[in-house]
Amino acid sequence: MSQTRRLIRQTMTIARRDFIATVFTPIFLLFLFAPLIMVAFSTIGALGAAQAADHGSDRVRIVAIVSDATATAFAAADRQSRTIFRRDEEPPELVTLPPARDPAAQARAAFESPDYDATAVLYGPLDRPTILYGARGQRAADYLTVLATGALSAERLGGELPKVTPRKLAFSRQRATLGGQNQTASLAVFGVFFLTLFLAGQVVGTMAEERSNKVIEVLAAAVPLEAVFLGKLLGMFGVAVLFIGFWGTVLGQVASLLPPAFAGMVGELSPAVGLPMFVMLFVAYFTMAYLLLGSVFLTIGAQASTMREIQMLSLPITIIQVGMFTLTLSGLSQPGSWLALVAEVFPLSSPFAMAGVAAASDALWPHAVALAWQALWVALFVTLGARLFRRGVLQSGSTRPFWRRKGA
Amino acid sequence: MDNQWAVTASGLAKRFGDRRVVDGVDIAVPTGAVYGVLGPNGAGKTTTLRMLLGIIEPDEGQRSLLGHAHPRDASDLVGYLPEERGLYPAMKARDAIVFMGALRGLDRATGRVRADELLEQAGLGHAADSKIRKLSKGMAQLVQLLGSVVHRPKLLVLDEPFSGLDPVNQERLEALILGERDRGATILFSTHVMAHAERLCDRLAIIAGGRRRFEGTVHDARGTLTAQVRYRPRDPERVLPELLPADAVREGADWRFPMPEQGIEPILGRLLTAGAGILNLSIERPSLHEAFVRIVGEQEMAA
Repeated sequence: MSQTRRLIRQTMTIARRDFIATVFTPIFLLFLFAPLIMVAFSTIGALGAAQAADHGSDRVRIVAIVSDATATAFAAADRQSRTIFRRDEEPPELVTLPPARDPAAQARAAFESPDYDATAVLYGPLDRPTILYGARGQRAADYLTVLATGALSAERLGGELPKVTPRKLAFSRQRATLGGQNQTASLAVFGVFFLTLFLAGQVVGTMAEERSNKVIEVLAAAVPLEAVFLGKLLGMFGVAVLFIGFWGTVLGQVASLLPPAFAGMVGELSPAVGLPMFVMLFVAYFTMAYLLLGSVFLTIGAQASTMREIQMLSLPITIIQVGMFTLTLSGLSQPGSWLALVAEVFPLSSPFAMAGVAAASDALWPHAVALAWQALWVALFVTLGARLFRRGVLQSGSTRPFWRRKGA
Repeated sequence: MDNQWAVTASGLAKRFGDRRVVDGVDIAVPTGAVYGVLGPNGAGKTTTLRMLLGIIEPDEGQRSLLGHAHPRDASDLVGYLPEERGLYPAMKARDAIVFMGALRGLDRATGRVRADELLEQAGLGHAADSKIRKLSKGMAQLVQLLGSVVHRPKLLVLDEPFSGLDPVNQERLEALILGERDRGATILFSTHVMAHAERLCDRLAIIAGGRRRFEGTVHDARGTLTAQVRYRPRDPERVLPELLPADAVREGADWRFPMPEQGIEPILGRLLTAGAGILNLSIERPSLHEAFVRIVGEQEMAA
């Protein structure tokens, strides 16, 4: 068997063991369903807030003190204007009152009405009405002005506004919108970051298992340490893919149940390279981000000898990740700047930055270069990690560190 | 490269910090032999084995393993039981054996079949589906040993395989080692228990203080000490000191002295002529234990 094939076989043996040991445990279920807990809490929160808001807004009204004839025109204008609002952005319901002798006093009294909470009240002649508004009633006052304009126009035109019957056709644009690209870029960077933040950190403690139960000696004797490191990395990556695959499927199913308006928003995501290529690049950059950060964490974690040390490492690790994320975002906001270039070239931030580039620019060759560059760094980190481990933990290296060699 | 030697090493040396843990060891293990590496605790046995297997790199010296200059190239043909035993506690016994085979290139299906066979033969058939953490230490050790032979290695390296086993399991292990030899494997093992070495080894090396102090058969090792003669006369009155070698020592009714170079016959002749007679006479060949203690002791005196 050739060297490479043997290395692949050894790596996959290690990866398979790690994957199985991680996935077939009760704890993994807890890990897998952790997002449910988040979703559950935010749902409860949202429901509660909506309920509270509903209770309040039920009785809010805008009030127009106008004659009966004008009231009809007001109602018509209200019906027409209301169509442009989304359901939860609609202005409060309209109430019309016939004018009493002193409309100003009547308007003030409307705010005290036991039947509703008036937020804005209109009275007086239609071309120069007075509108009283309460706290947070400014938009309602504007809306009343619009209604008054409609009613006045109808009156001047002889009782009714002219009718417009449009022909509405859906049209999908071929070119990605610039706004969509920017939004997609930020989303891509955030997506890669979010996924690696939660998943890559898991790698840090994996070598501790072998060190504490002495299996490392069996592994080190049978296969090269590089295969052990890479195998562990791939095993945990498999776990991450399983996690994402599971939630991706779930969310996909949920999304297909959502109202079409939401699906329309997804359609707004318009990466410059086109959606299928973008998805492929996104997956590729997530893989690279995971492998790069994972290999660094694995290397650092392998040097730690106790669980305590590993726990201490989790803060610097999160900080590194957030640092890479901010670097990328700063680069993204100034495309073409040296900062953007640094983010694209520096190995640890490169996958994030390039995922952003995929959304904003349609050239494909930079991605080929970037992926090769990142893969090179994964190989470097794994080799370095194995070498450090061999030296420090297996006590293979006996040459003194250079700073102590003198005077030996 | 001929197949005469399964393992060769010359001038292997390893420093940890300032200490030379292994200081120029030569070893040649003939193919098909059971070869013992003996030495006191801390002699450098484990480090030597780890260098031979390529787990760590020597600072000096050459080695070859099954004809490969890089021991790693032969790793699929080697089985190894480290001194520090370790298995994944959450794995089932059968899976642990299959996994260890897979690390050495054995496909899983074959591994599973052989694992069940091996467990059955070792009297652990009932434990195939038990997790390692549920097994006793000795049982886990046997499982690990089975895992190191499941791929039928050409070379089996066992580091202190008998430590931690009860006498019954030690017997089983000896049988397993001989079984592997009969299959055609070369076995290299380290121990500081002489009895096992004496029973099993075709050849052995004694390492002390990071150096090889002896290499040869058990017979050769014992031959490094002269036999002791124990003599009890029929009539103690007639034994005069000049009849016996100068270094004879009296122990109660017995005289004890090392076997002279020209043999025992001239002395017996003189004793019989003097009428001392022979009530009891024994020639005690030194045990491996004594040879070991002397060889290692010399080194300690020198150090």
